[in-house]
Amino acid sequence: MKEIRLQKGLKQESLAGVIGVTRQTIIAIEKGKFVPSVKLALELAKALDQPLEEVFWLEVSQEG
Amino acid sequence: MIGMSRYYLSRAVLSAVFGFLFALTGSTWWVAALIGAIAFAFFLWAPHSGRYVVHPELGVTALRRDERTQGINDRSARNAFIVTMLAVAGAALYFGRFTPAVVPVAFLNYTLILGVLIYYLSSFLQRRSS
Repeated sequence: MKEIRLQKGLKQESLAGVIGVTRQTIIAIEKGKFVPSVKLALELAKALDQPLEEVFWLEVSQEG
Repeated sequence: MIGMSRYYLSRAVLSAVFGFLFALTGSTWWVAALIGAIAFAFFLWAPHSGRYVVHPELGVTALRRDERTQGINDRSARNAFIVTMLAVAGAALYFGRFTPAVVPVAFLNYTLILGVLIYYLSSFLQRRSS
C-alpha cells in the first residue's frame, strides 16, 4: 500500500484525511501491524484508485 | 482548512461554555477560566494526538475515534474491567472466607484506581505496539 501511495504522490496525512482515519492508523496498516476491516480496506483501495487485491492480499504460507 | 477553522471556532465556544458552567457552580472566575483553557488545550491537542479524527460537520461530536483507536479503547476497557472484577472477587473471597470482615471501602477505592491505571497502561502499550 505504501508503494501505491507514494506513486500517487500522497502523504500519509492526506490519505488519512480522505478516508477519515488518523495518520497513525495509516502508518500501522503500512507496517502490517493493523489489519483493516473490509470497509476500511475498500475505502483505502478506492482512495488509491486501485482494485482491492492490488492493495491488500492474503499471505499464503509456504508450508504443506 | 475551512472545516478545521469551523472545528477550532466551535471548540473555542464549547470551552467558553464549559468554563461558564463552572463559574455558575460557584467557582472563582480564574478557576472557571482555567477549566475553559484546559478544555480548549485538549481540543487543540486532540487532532494531532493520533487518537481522534475530526469530523467538523458533526458539530458537538466532531471528535471521533477511527476503527483502530476504537479497537484499542475497547480492549483497554475490557482489560481494566476484568482486572477490577477479579480484584473485587478476590477481596470478597479473602474478607468473606479467610478473614471474615466487611470489605474495607479503602480497598475498593484502590481497586478502582487500579482499574483506571490498567486502562491507561493497556492503551499505552497497544498504541506503542501498533
